[in-house]
Amino acid sequence: MTAPNLTAPNLMVVTDLTKRFGGLVALDAVSLQVRAGEAVGVIGPNGAGKSTLFNCLSGLESPDAGTVIFCGRRIDRMAAWRRSRLGIGRTFQRLELFEGMTVADHLLVAEQAHTGTVRIWRDLLHRGGPSPAELDHVRQVLGLLGLDDVADQPVATLDLGRARLVELGRALMGAPRLLLLDEPSSGLDVADTRRLAETLADVRQRSGVAVVLVEHDLDLIHAVVDHLVVLDLGRVLADGPTVEVLADPEVRRAYLGALA
Amino acid sequence: MSQLLSFALPGVPYGCVFALMAVGLVLTYKASGVFNLAFGAQAFVSALTYVSLIDGGWPRWAAAVIAVLVIGPVVGILLDRLLFRRIRTASPLVTLVPSLGLLVALPQVAIMVVGSIPVIPPPALVGNAQRVYLHLGSVPVSGLELSVTGATLVVVAGLVALFRFTPVGLEMRAVVESPRLTELAGIDSSRIGLAAWILSSVLAGLAGVLLAPLYAQVDPQNFTVLLVWGIAGAVIGRFTSLPLALVGGLALGIGQQILAGYLPPGVVANGLRPSLPFFVLLIFLPLVGTSRATDPLAGCDPPTSAVERAVSGYRSGATAAAGGSWESLAGGAVTSVGVWHRRLDGAAPTPLADRFTRRPTATLALVVGVVAVISALTWVPPDWLFTMNQALAVSIIFLSLTLLTGMSGLISLCQATFAGLGGFVAGQLAVHFGLPVMIGVIAGGLLAALLGVVVAIPTLRLAGLSLALATLAFALLADNILFPVSWVGNGAGGVTVPRPSAGPISFAAAKPFFLLSLVVLGGAALVVKLVGDGTMGRYLAAVRGSELASSSVGIDVTRLRVLVFAISAGLAGVGGAMSGSLEGSLSPDAYGYQVSIVLLAVVAIVGIGSISGAIVAGVVYEVLQQAVTTLPARFAGLVAVLFGLAALSYTRHPEGFLDVLGGRAERVIERARNRRATARQGSGSVPPPTGGPVVAQAGGMS
Repeated sequence: MTAPNLTAPNLMVVTDLTKRFGGLVALDAVSLQVRAGEAVGVIGPNGAGKSTLFNCLSGLESPDAGTVIFCGRRIDRMAAWRRSRLGIGRTFQRLELFEGMTVADHLLVAEQAHTGTVRIWRDLLHRGGPSPAELDHVRQVLGLLGLDDVADQPVATLDLGRARLVELGRALMGAPRLLLLDEPSSGLDVADTRRLAETLADVRQRSGVAVVLVEHDLDLIHAVVDHLVVLDLGRVLADGPTVEVLADPEVRRAYLGALA
Repeated sequence: MSQLLSFALPGVPYGCVFALMAVGLVLTYKASGVFNLAFGAQAFVSALTYVSLIDGGWPRWAAAVIAVLVIGPVVGILLDRLLFRRIRTASPLVTLVPSLGLLVALPQVAIMVVGSIPVIPPPALVGNAQRVYLHLGSVPVSGLELSVTGATLVVVAGLVALFRFTPVGLEMRAVVESPRLTELAGIDSSRIGLAAWILSSVLAGLAGVLLAPLYAQVDPQNFTVLLVWGIAGAVIGRFTSLPLALVGGLALGIGQQILAGYLPPGVVANGLRPSLPFFVLLIFLPLVGTSRATDPLAGCDPPTSAVERAVSGYRSGATAAAGGSWESLAGGAVTSVGVWHRRLDGAAPTPLADRFTRRPTATLALVVGVVAVISALTWVPPDWLFTMNQALAVSIIFLSLTLLTGMSGLISLCQATFAGLGGFVAGQLAVHFGLPVMIGVIAGGLLAALLGVVVAIPTLRLAGLSLALATLAFALLADNILFPVSWVGNGAGGVTVPRPSAGPISFAAAKPFFLLSLVVLGGAALVVKLVGDGTMGRYLAAVRGSELASSSVGIDVTRLRVLVFAISAGLAGVGGAMSGSLEGSLSPDAYGYQVSIVLLAVVAIVGIGSISGAIVAGVVYEVLQQAVTTLPARFAGLVAVLFGLAALSYTRHPEGFLDVLGGRAERVIERARNRRATARQGSGSVPPPTGGPVVAQAGGMS
């Protein structure tokens, strides 16, 4: 775990983010900050609004109120693909892989999509293939995640641990500044989770990417996260350094009560 | 008020029939997971039985009982057992194609069985259709209206009683709500599914029998239109609510008559009324929740079936089959010209000669192609040369589906509309403005592309079945509003499209035109290939895999979708223009919505995943039609029968029969070659068999 860098500038500032589904308030004036290079954990019981928060941050859902500022730009009304190109990568709790495509192609699509829209004219002139730089980057990320040996396999043949790594790799393409990881350890066994923690640390060290991690696995939280946000019923219950937050009696009551 | 009533009342019988269709569609959709587009055909079969029996001297009540309570369920059970039961969990295309095939084939088969459609006007169920029995206010009510409304009321009362008071009804409601939860509660949902299927078939039969007297003669086309109205009703019920579907159907029937009453007469008014389903679908389809939203067990889906996996891949099987190794990439130049399933790493392509020895079917295809072209230019008689020309033109239209449905997973049932527009534009420009036909063909393609954009934008949020239904409704809209206009399709008169010429070279004769078509088809194939191999093809594959993930990696899904619709529609437009120029004229009938249905089903059956599939589909489609004309007249329905059988077998080979045959041929040749090699060399450096495409193997297993 790296020491939190309290002097780093804010990468993302979320202010009073609110999202309702009919009568249900999924997010109730949620505010939080992510500094450049920092790892923030988000925990909370089921239904606390964690996935809705991610969807609002990555643009798959639009919030009813509140602002999201990323790198000094307001992005809360921006389309998902634009936010991705600004440097927000994400993974999904329920795997969203491109069925039928190989591992390498997953990364290549993300790499190419990041640098521009469809290059239809280049396609028609048969110049649509990947550039050496793009291939190089794909190869780097494959190596980083230890996916070289399955690069040519269709994703359907992978086990869950590797499939989650493919999602991570896809989110890493195009050099994002912020990664939103939605329960990356769900469905993984202890060994896979430990490996994931090591990989994440490695990725952060090399790329300096900031991470927001929604997670139930407290070991992974401890291993990765600098600072922790607790959500409950759409509200921020606590926000601070991991150890302090986990020691907070109110947090223990609301979230860890069953575990403690 | 009484004017409104006088407009509304004639709509009631239509509304009743639409409502019965809508309820039946929702019932089978929810109970069996299949949106049964063959429903219109089932209604037709019952109506035909009814009229034929009466023509044969049967009393009306007996004819109705046989048609509705015997023939209806029998056809329904057969369809369920033979087909729909097997495709419950398959992808939208796999469930759609067989029912589309049956929608077209079943009426033809029924007509063949009966001999011919009786020419008598179909009588009403009870009473005299024309006689006025009573007045509501000042509005007369005829026997037809009374019998239809009465029958519907009886059926609705019966349905309410069934669902309210019987255990089967309760279980059926539970299955409609969530089949899997019902199973978990210990109820055999397939038994209930069968009950629902029988019930809905009875409703289809009844709708057919009730609808028949509304027209002068029983005609399959009316029943496809009926189906579209029923679909609109089902969509108002969001595919889930039986009462809402009932009300929706009724409202549509009455609404269309009111619309007709208040709108000034004319092309647009006459066209607007039959186009009502389109607008209803456009408004209500986005509101239809996905099964995820309504089924609490949707999160724990069973693993995809082999069938589904097999069709999931324009690219999927391809990437594995190409066997290119990521490890061996070493930054090769991206010049893989001619490798259809381009290696992802852009490694140097296999030398041409090598490829042909490795893929023996490719050699075979090349030989067949060359022989066909040489034959066309030398000894083929004129009528068969014409057929070959038609095959080239229709292949271009099929290619547009390869791009849109095969590569992008977007199911379109309005490709014929795009093709028709292309043809009309080429003809109109040539006839009225004296522009060269080749310019007209290009302009036709461009305008069709523009129409593609027009279709793509309001349907952006739709996918799978919803998109298919919306495009079907759009085709109907175009048939009724766009094509009858004198400066577009010119209604029944059609449009003259001359043969093109370029400077001193005239393509008027059959052989030069054949060469020209060949070049145009080659260009279209090249476009599809380059798009498929380029960034766009990769993005399309990604979006097909997961739209959410695609947008989260930076793909502008909206733009991509509009673009692929435009290119596809443009290709279809060029194909339609070439076809029109070949025929010399073009009538809107030739590009009605039924044609779109047939086109999609044919190319899917042959192989929607490859360029060769589109071309073979074009040849098969035209040659079969031509071959039938050489047979005695009573075999006229033979193509329809073949088509229906192929549609049935499609569920077993959703990758298309071309891939199945190709895979088989390759395995046979490979085995023979290996045997020869081992015999010659003893143990030696025999290259390991590369195996057929994964797609073909998966299909072979199921």
